[in-house]
This record gives sequence, structure tokens and C-alpha cells, in this order.
Amino acid sequence: MDASTFVGPFVPELLLLGAVLLVFLLDVLEIRRNEWLSTVAVAATSLALLSVLGDLGVGFLSVFATLPPGLIDATPSGTSLYGFTSLGLIFQAIFLLSALLVSLASASRPSNEKGAPIFYALLLLATIGMLLVAIASDLIFLLLAIEVTSIATYLLVGYHRHESRSLEAAMKFFIIGALSTVLSFYGASLLFGAYGTTNLYALGHATSSGGFPVLVLLGYGFLVAGLAFKVTLVPFHAWAVDVYDGAPSDVSAFLAGGTKKIGLFAFFLVFLGPILFIKATGAGSSPFSGGPLDLGPVLTLTLAVLAVVTMTVGNLLALLQKEMKRMLAYSSISQAGYMLIGVTLGTAPGITGATMQIFAHVLMKGGAFLVVAGVAALGVGPLIDDWKGLGTRRPLLGAAFALMLLSLAGVPLTVGFVSKFVLFSSAVQAQGYFVWLAVAGLLNSALSVFYYARVLKVIFFDEAPGGAAAAVPAPSVEPLGAGGLGYGRAVAIGTIAVLIVAFGVYPQPVLGAIQSAAQHFVSVGV
Amino acid sequence: MFPVLSLVLLTLLAGTVVTFAAGRYARWVALFTSFAFLAEVAFLLASYPGWPGYASGTVPGFADQESYVWIHLGWLQVNYTVGVDGISLVLILLTAILQVATVVYSWNEARRPAAWFGLVMLTCLGCLGVFVALDILLFFLFWEAVLVPMFFLIGYWGGPRRRYASLKFFVYTHVASIVMLVGLLALVFYSGASSFDYGSVYVSARSLVTVTQTFLFLALFFGFGVKFPIVPFHTWLPDAHVEAPTGGSVLLAGLLLKLGGYGLIRWAVLILPQGFHEAQPLLFVIAFATIAWGSVVSLAQRDLKRMVAFSSINHMGIVLLAIALGSSLGLLAAVLLMFAHGIVSALLFMVSGSVHHTYGTRDIPSLGGITPSTPVLATMVMVGSLASLGLPWLISFPAEFTALLATWDGLTYWVLIPLGILVVTAGFYIWMMQRMLFGPPKGIPEGVHDLPWNESAAMGLLVAATILFGVLPFFLVNLITSSPIHGFPGT
Repeated sequence: MDASTFVGPFVPELLLLGAVLLVFLLDVLEIRRNEWLSTVAVAATSLALLSVLGDLGVGFLSVFATLPPGLIDATPSGTSLYGFTSLGLIFQAIFLLSALLVSLASASRPSNEKGAPIFYALLLLATIGMLLVAIASDLIFLLLAIEVTSIATYLLVGYHRHESRSLEAAMKFFIIGALSTVLSFYGASLLFGAYGTTNLYALGHATSSGGFPVLVLLGYGFLVAGLAFKVTLVPFHAWAVDVYDGAPSDVSAFLAGGTKKIGLFAFFLVFLGPILFIKATGAGSSPFSGGPLDLGPVLTLTLAVLAVVTMTVGNLLALLQKEMKRMLAYSSISQAGYMLIGVTLGTAPGITGATMQIFAHVLMKGGAFLVVAGVAALGVGPLIDDWKGLGTRRPLLGAAFALMLLSLAGVPLTVGFVSKFVLFSSAVQAQGYFVWLAVAGLLNSALSVFYYARVLKVIFFDEAPGGAAAAVPAPSVEPLGAGGLGYGRAVAIGTIAVLIVAFGVYPQPVLGAIQSAAQHFVSVGV
Repeated sequence: MFPVLSLVLLTLLAGTVVTFAAGRYARWVALFTSFAFLAEVAFLLASYPGWPGYASGTVPGFADQESYVWIHLGWLQVNYTVGVDGISLVLILLTAILQVATVVYSWNEARRPAAWFGLVMLTCLGCLGVFVALDILLFFLFWEAVLVPMFFLIGYWGGPRRRYASLKFFVYTHVASIVMLVGLLALVFYSGASSFDYGSVYVSARSLVTVTQTFLFLALFFGFGVKFPIVPFHTWLPDAHVEAPTGGSVLLAGLLLKLGGYGLIRWAVLILPQGFHEAQPLLFVIAFATIAWGSVVSLAQRDLKRMVAFSSINHMGIVLLAIALGSSLGLLAAVLLMFAHGIVSALLFMVSGSVHHTYGTRDIPSLGGITPSTPVLATMVMVGSLASLGLPWLISFPAEFTALLATWDGLTYWVLIPLGILVVTAGFYIWMMQRMLFGPPKGIPEGVHDLPWNESAAMGLLVAATILFGVLPFFLVNLITSSPIHGFPGT
């Protein structure tokens, strides 16, 4: 095999792997200053991002393309372990963007922090796993890639190992994660038992050929449960809040903004095949009728119920929260419910909407957690009420955070509005009972406005307790640039704020790319 | 063609951005932008092809139309499409007048003036956008964009219960707009319209069956109705008004309520004629309930501002009645009423704001005989009240007269209900004037000054508009009747 055809497709992954090794090398050479390591991670992720964008053919960036022509969106063979779809590449870009922003913001962590090399190495390793998820075309490959990310993130969550909260979160995350892995692999083994293959394309096209309906149903049932843990769907969500809350906020940004989305892409890969295939062929009537197996309606209904329950429960619980991070964590759960609408629809518009929502969520939720990390570094407590008067003291930071919350609430001229608009439009466009998914989603966004507006009220309208003098805490460590925020974090937050508005005003470039990718994804039938 | 409307939008947008950044010069930037906006609106009016004397009496479509691609995804065709007809021009003129008046009135705003003037202009920008948008997403976008500045105007500059009021305002109107959005999306996708443009929806919605039309109409009516506000969903309005700063109240009553009326006409009544026809009885019941409720509750208010707020509900009920009639005369009356109420309620809210900071209270019974100490303010109270109760030669008169005429035309003797209630309305204004303006002086503190120059100027502008359009209503009537309202039931 020619080296270029073998290396070319994996340039992003190899870049990150190289950066991991470089970080370890620097560790051995005792170069452990946080800023240096952050620079390595930022450089590696941006180069990888450029390469992925080049492969997608984004304007002049196509000079960075490394994939051999003809490899993208090739017809799946039914036996391959991995394949390159344009939708997968878009997800790679989204994942890399999340990793890039988090490593950029992490430059503002204390520069002599212990274990900084481990932090960046784990961050990059988790990203490699995410990139592999986006190119998986085999169930086992997919689950292993998820595992690569998961193991790295268990360690990231417990990275502050002297804090009991962080450790507890890591332990919880690990046990639940292990359980979910077991469930997924068990489901995969049942499917292999039924069909003799684990290739996703072959599985998608096999589901109507009958055979062992109970085995297949159980297999998909276990997969739904196993992957639902990763996506934090209710009732598989209980771990998420404690983990997002206990983890360092930069890691929470990566978990909620980045790694959670691999579960959603896995949903695309695993469940769209059967849904689409049944839809296309119109085969089958009921899973137990003895005739051809009709998984489509069963899966659709299951996913629809999960979507509505997830967004509703997430929002209701978010309303009750007093701590900022727990509120954001529950809001993150509810957002997963919105994204699931797209999978449920199983149409190109639905996939477009869900992907756009995922992109928006990386920006707005990742950004919100980065602000939380920055504000915590300024010495502000974890309660929402501790943020009183922040908007008056730090107008720019307050405005950026307000922008992220408004985007999460779906207020126009933000990217969150565009994504929700496309997502709910796609549900109405599918007609039938899918319209109720749009209604449920819209009512839920109305509900979510309550808690976002409450935070805005606290930040901008409430006076800080004890007057302005008491509100400015003394810096505990050496003061950072950009008014104590640190330049890296300030740049990351500023970039996110600009992107939220830019893609809120003119989303066509992103949306157009996602739409044509989704169109292709659906037409091939995974 | 020269993109006039985009230029107008851009003027306001640039003015808003600069105002936010201008620090202590914010008010000058705001004033300059407001006058530029007013001049551009004058140009729009002068160049409108629907005037008598131009080639045709009725405009075949919208004037100054522009359309650019925005989001094109195959199944989702969204454009930036703007255009005006007479109905929107009347309301755009109202926006321009109220913006100048609000900026001048709050000239000496001391708390964060840059943010204040910026948010005021942002509100006006949103309203202008709603009036010119001819694409569903663009319309919805501007519609929602009005909420945010108003939330901050009430929540930061408002009275003691401002937090509760701003939150209630935001949640009520946001929930309503969500229902409206589902209705609008369903309108596009169920009718199979080729794009989100007004034109294509207008054409394809006519093929919808009556049941679908009715459901869609009800969803849209709920969305627009909460802004009106219609009676079971009106409770956000008194709270918002009482807590809002004067400038906020002026924009809220003068412009935001008009969005509901405009939306109902443009996006529901004209697009879904059969659904409208089916829902007509419901609209009448709600309209009568709103008129009666607003009027009776006003009568019981001691607080001047609260009284004006409830009388707004009453007036908007008459607007709803005029729209519900489904005739072109009713439509004319509705738009005239909206313009009249915009000017007059703005004047009255300014008056109650000035009474409050001149006398330290808005409690009507604890004031009396204020005319000798503050003659200018008392005159403004009088003009506003007389205009609001529908005195001839003032702007409300032609509007209310047309509304009653249209009601007689459509419902014959039912006209006695709004007519009787108008007497009640006149009653509470006259009673208020009698208690506050005349009689022995009461509750007047030492060393009271009459209005500062900027407040007199702002109210003077509104009084001038009240008289000008009251004496020469044909100026507005021509604009409205030359609008493309063919396809409207009854024409």
C-alpha cells in the first residue's frame, strides 16, 4: 500500500498523537509550564482542524486537504472498519473546535499547576477517540473509539485528585461508563449473533431480513441504553450532573460541549440505518408478526419518547438549581433531547437540524463552562447568587456570558436560534405526529427561558452584596492578564461570542455544508 | 433599484451600535439618528406610489421591495425580503415619531445613558423590522428581537417590582411567540409554499382546507393576541407598564402593542381568509370582553399610570373588534386606531411620568388643582385625555368614528356595546381631570417647577401630531386604502 493513501486519511489523528508524544517528551525534559503545553495542544488541534476543513473543501483551505480524492462519501462496502463521510468530517471539525477552544482557554490555568502534561495528553487522547468515532463504519470499531475517549475523560474528571468532589465525580463517571460500555458491547454481540456481521451498513440493511426478532430487538435495546448513557438521555442521565459539577470547569466544557456529542453521532450511525432502510423499503408490519422485522416504528417511537422526556426533565430540574454549574449541566441534558429529535425524524432536514444544534451547543455550552471556569478563577463562588453584579463589574465578560445564555435560550441573531429554527422546522416539515416533537421542543425552550432569564437578572440587575468594594475578591494566585481572566481564556471566550453572533446572522455557509453532507449520509443509508 | 428600506434599517442599526459605544455623547447620537430616521421615513412616504395623483390608485403589491438569499437548503428557502405598503408605512411613521419623542423626553437620563438610549433605539429597530419584513423568519426574528431590549429597559430602569414585571413580560410574550412560530412553520410546510416569503405563502395558503386554516389561524391569533393584549392573557401589561420607566412605557404602549395588531392583519387575516371566517365569532367575543374589561377596570384605578395602562387594553380591544369585522372599512379603522392609540397613549404615559416626578405620586385622589402650579403639564394632561376619549379634531376621533361605522356596517346594533363603553371611557378621563386638574390645590409640594424643556418638547411633538392628523386624517386614510388588500374578505 502506498504510504500516502495510508497516512493521508489519518493526518488529524496522527497530528494529535504526535502532540501527545511531544507533551510527554516535554514532561521528561521538565518543561512543564502550562502555557507551553497549551501552545502545543492549540497548535496540534488547529492544524488538525485545518486539515479536516481542507478535506471538506472549505474555500482556500482546500490546500490543506490530505484525503485522497474519491474517498469521501464512497459507497460503503459492507465490510470496512472505517469510512469517510462528509458528515463525519463535519463532526470531526466540530470535535476539534471544541478541543481547540478548551486547550486555548486552559492556557490561563495557573502556570505551575501540577500534572499539566497529563491534562493536555489526556485531552488530546480523548480527541483522537472522538475523531475515530466520526469515521467508524463498524459497530465494534465505533464502541472501541468511544472507549478511547471515555477512558481519557474518566481521568480528566478526576484530574484534581486532592479534591474529594472531583474524585467522587470521576469514580461515578467511571462506574457508570463501564456499565454503559458493557451494555453496548452486549448489544453488539447479540446483533452479531443474529446477523453474523458488525458492519453498520450491513446491519442497517439486514434488519428487515427477519431471522431472530427477539435477538435483534434485545440487541438494539441494549445499544439504545448503552449509548443513552453517553448522550445523557433521561432516565440514563443521573451521573451527568454530578460529573459536570465535580469536574474542573474546563473539563466540563469539554465533556458537555465535546465528548457527549460522540454519543449522538453514534446514534446517527447505529440507528439511522434501520430507520431509513425500513422507511425506504416500507417492509414489515410488527416486530413479532413472524414476517419481516419492522424495527423502524419501534425505534422511532422509543427515540421520540426519550427525546421528549429528556428535554422536559432536564429543563424542569434546571429550574430548581441554585448552583451555576448544575444548572448548566441540566440544561445540557435537555439540549440532548432537542438533538435527538433529528435522529428520530430520520430525514436529511432532521440530521441537518441536529448537527447544527450540536455545533451551536459546542459553542454556547462549551463557552458557558469556560466562563464559569474563568469566573471561579476570579474568586466567585459556585452559587448563581454569588454572581450578583458581575455584569456591572465586568461588562464584557457579562455580555459574553449573556450572549451564550441567550443563544441557549434560542433568542434570534444567535446561532442557538438558527439551530433550533432549522431543527423544529424539520420536525414540522416531516408532518404527521412529528409536529408534536416541534411543539414539545418549543414549549421546552419557553420553559428554559425562565432559568436563563433568572441568571441574566442576577448578573445584571441584582446589586452585589456588601457593595462594590466587597465584590472584588483578592486574587489568590498571581494575577493573570486580561483583568484576571488570562489572555488564552479571554481569546477563547471572545472567539466563541463572535462565532455565536456571526453564524446567528449568516448561517448559510455552515448550514449549506451540513445540509449537503446530511443529504448524502441519508441517501447512502449510512 | 435603490435599496431604500435596507438603508433605513442600516441607519438605525448603525445608530444603535454607535449609541451603545458613545458614552456621554450617546444622547446626541441617538437624537441625530432619530432625526435621520424621521427624514428617511418622510422620503419613503413621499415616494410611495399609492398617493392620489400617481399613476394608479392602488399599488399592485409592495413598494420598495428587496429580496436577497439568506438560507437556502432545498427544503428550507429563507430570504431577506422587505417591502412596504400603506399599512406598514403608517406604523413606520408612528415608530419614527415615537423614537424622536422618547429620545427627547429622556434627554437627561442619568443612569447609564449609553445603554438606555441604545436599548430604546434597538426597540425601535425591532419594530421597524417587523413592519417591513416580508419573510416569515425575518419577521419572527425582528418580532423576538424587540423582547430583549424591552426586558432590559423594564428590568434595569423600572420601578420597585421591576424584576417581577420584566420576567413576566418576557415569559408571557415569549411563550406566545413560540405558539405563533409553530403556526407560521406549519403554514409554510403544510401549504407547500416554495419559500418563507410573504408572496409565496400568500398564494399557497389559499389551497389549504378550512380545518387546517382554522387551526393555523388560532395558533397565530394566540401569538399575536398576547401582544395586543387580549383579555385572558392581558395580565402582563399592567405590571409591565406600572414598573417600566416612562420611556419604556411609551414604547411598550405606542409600538409593542401595535406589533400584535399588525401581525394579525398581515400574517393571519390576509393569509388565512377561511380560517379567519371560522374564528370570527371567537374574535368578537374576545374583542367585546377586552373592551369591557379594560374600560371597567380603568374606572377602578387610583394610580394614573395604571389607569392609562388599562385604557390601552380597552383601546386595543376596539382594534381587535375592527379587525374581526373582516371588512376593508374595519381594516382601515384598525390601522387608524393603532396609529392614534400609539400617539395618544405615548402622550399619556409621558404625562403620568411627569406627574410622578413633579409631584412625587401618581395617586389620583391625593392630587388636586395642579393647574395653577404647573399649567403646561396640566394642559398636556388635558389634551391627552381629551384625545383619548375621542374629541373631534383630535386624532382618535376619525379612528373611533370609522371603527363604530364599520361595526354598524357589520354587526348593526351590536355597535351599542363599544359605543356604551366609549361613554364609560370618556367618563373616567373626565373624572380624572376633574379630580386632578381642578378644584382646591391638594398634595402640591413646595417649590414645584413646571415641565423641563425636553419633556415639553417631546409632548409638544405628540400634541402636534394629535392635532395635525386629527384635522387632516385623509393623509393616513389615503395611505391605508391604497394598500394591496385585495383578497380581503368583503372587498
